[in-house]
Amino acid sequence: MFRILKKSLKTGVVTGRYPAAAPTVEAPASEAKYKAKPFRSSLAFRAVDTGSCNACEMEMNALANPVYDVERYGVHIVASPRHADALVVTGPVTVNMERALKDVYKQTPDPKIVIALGDCAINCGMFKGSYAVTGPVDRHIPVDVRIPGCPPRPAEILNALQELRKSTDSDKD
Amino acid sequence: MAETRSCDEELKAAFPSIVQDHAAQGEFSHFLVPKDLLPAITHYLHTQSSLHGRLTLLWAVDDRPVRDTYGLHYLFTLEPSRRWVLLSTELAGDERLFPSITPHIHAAKWYEREIRDMFGLIPQGHPDLRRLVRHEHWPKGAHPLKKDFPWDRILGRQQGEHHFRQIEGEGVFEVPVGPIHAGIIEPGHFRFSVAGEPIMQLELHHFWTHRGIEKLFEQQELTVAVPLAERVSGDTTVGHSLAYCQAVESLLQLEVPRRGRYLRSLFLELERLHNHLGDVGAICNDTAYALPHAHCGRMKEQVMQLNDRLTGSRFLRGVNRVGGVAMDLTTVQLAEIVAELDRIEKDFSELESIIASNASLIDRLETTGVLTERTAWDHAVVGVVGRASGLDQDLRRDRPFAAYDELQVRVVTYRYGDVRARMRVRMDEIHESMRLVREVRVKIPQGPVASEPNLRPQTGEWALSAVEGWRGEIVYLVMAGENGKVHRCKVRDPSFANWPAIQWAVLGNIIPDFPLINKSFNLSYAGNDL
Repeated sequence: MFRILKKSLKTGVVTGRYPAAAPTVEAPASEAKYKAKPFRSSLAFRAVDTGSCNACEMEMNALANPVYDVERYGVHIVASPRHADALVVTGPVTVNMERALKDVYKQTPDPKIVIALGDCAINCGMFKGSYAVTGPVDRHIPVDVRIPGCPPRPAEILNALQELRKSTDSDKD
Repeated sequence: MAETRSCDEELKAAFPSIVQDHAAQGEFSHFLVPKDLLPAITHYLHTQSSLHGRLTLLWAVDDRPVRDTYGLHYLFTLEPSRRWVLLSTELAGDERLFPSITPHIHAAKWYEREIRDMFGLIPQGHPDLRRLVRHEHWPKGAHPLKKDFPWDRILGRQQGEHHFRQIEGEGVFEVPVGPIHAGIIEPGHFRFSVAGEPIMQLELHHFWTHRGIEKLFEQQELTVAVPLAERVSGDTTVGHSLAYCQAVESLLQLEVPRRGRYLRSLFLELERLHNHLGDVGAICNDTAYALPHAHCGRMKEQVMQLNDRLTGSRFLRGVNRVGGVAMDLTTVQLAEIVAELDRIEKDFSELESIIASNASLIDRLETTGVLTERTAWDHAVVGVVGRASGLDQDLRRDRPFAAYDELQVRVVTYRYGDVRARMRVRMDEIHESMRLVREVRVKIPQGPVASEPNLRPQTGEWALSAVEGWRGEIVYLVMAGENGKVHRCKVRDPSFANWPAIQWAVLGNIIPDFPLINKSFNLSYAGNDL
């Protein structure tokens, strides 16, 4: 017991101890921001891997560690598409995963947003053209937000999520 | 040396009709074997106590453009001498059948199904000829690794359903899990048959993330395909790119400078560290003990940020290149690595004593998911999982690569094969990796870090390479084609060897323990599916 307390006290707060991310290249589209409006204070996302090399998964898992602690922004990672506001899709859509992706999209309640995470999900990356790959995510389901990178750093993912949920001047109406 | 010669002689005495190919002398023994003798000779290799061969890789090559044959190659590691023995056979002309060795050697099961899917060659006598890589909706006759199959063909879709093995009886239920799981993990399907709580049978249905990597390799040139190897399995970036580079280097007869080899070992150990740190935490987390998970997540992040500072990539991407490494480290950077790891080691040791003194955690880990040494051996299990079941194998010691011929690796083994053993192997390897990094810092010589390739390999030449990644042994076969292209690249992630074994490790356990057992194996889906 004392050992655990001592360890926690010695460690202190590590949240936020990461190098700042490079500023996002493109701001999210205004339609995407409009669609994300209901989720400004809380966003529950479900990760779907449609053929990624698992680096993107590792970076998403890192979001939940004490250093990035995505929950402090009201972002939760949920276990079922039915609990989700957003789908985060990684990887080029493989022939074998195509059906599963479409099913997951149908199972996610409206309103929902789809985030394509990583270069593969956006444009198939290195796997473009392969017989086993059917195309990027937006060939199968509508994509609202794109977070490029191979893989994007956790700080960049955090930034993109923050940008998406920031209020704008046109919100007054 | 005398011992290896006697192994070759013994094999030749038992099977006089096989021919030894002396071209490969030195690195391994290569025999040309008539097709019909395959089951007998592989059985002999596998069971004879003086040979004790473990199936390391089984691959096929479509040689038809040049020679009108398919080549089949069986690579065994002899346990007593750690020597490789390669058996090769050919299917000439229209032959599509080859004798299956699975009835004698469990480990060949997936390899032969994979060959059937990718090449359309049929293993006769194989007990399970369902599709493996090609899911049932793939059109008939689509065998992607045949040379006449265009790499960018658009596949049609047909009706089809995968048939799982079924257990029938009162109170037996089937529980399907996946392909999309509850955590942030990759897709795979698990089908459990349970009576009450205990698992009676688990069947895997994988290959959801099959991206056609081996075919994509064939579209690339030998020296530039490294980024693709890095993306076979993202968490094993260094392991895969190193294995690929080594194979190409032996094709190009390229000597990597000593400093380059030391840096390769250093980066490989850094990769091992961040993955093992993450795994120890994740295993604890799967028993709902979140505290170590938080601490380990923090330490893993420290290592990944260190990677980022050193190389500009958290996953150490772009570090390996054909001929050596792409970047050098300064003395200051090496000192920074060691200082950071010293801090983490102290931190981790404190955490270890917290973990070890938690009785409820240990109770949950002990005797859970036992993989016996016998089962592990039968399935040719490699890496961390094998070492936790008492298989004393580590390529860093057994077939030294990079700078491991000059570094002394202490191999960690445990006997019990349960989740706790697999966690303890990882914990001990964390300390060992940190020690190795320190040793690298002391011993690293000055000099260049890479040499330039200046040779073009002959069409049809091939090379094997093996690397002990953090998960286990990664084996690559690279065969040169025309104009410096890749003719065939066979990739074997340790996951491909270890996945089938999990079906045995879970038997008798309850379903709620499955995530824990799965985590303790922590196999890659992407590396398995290719």
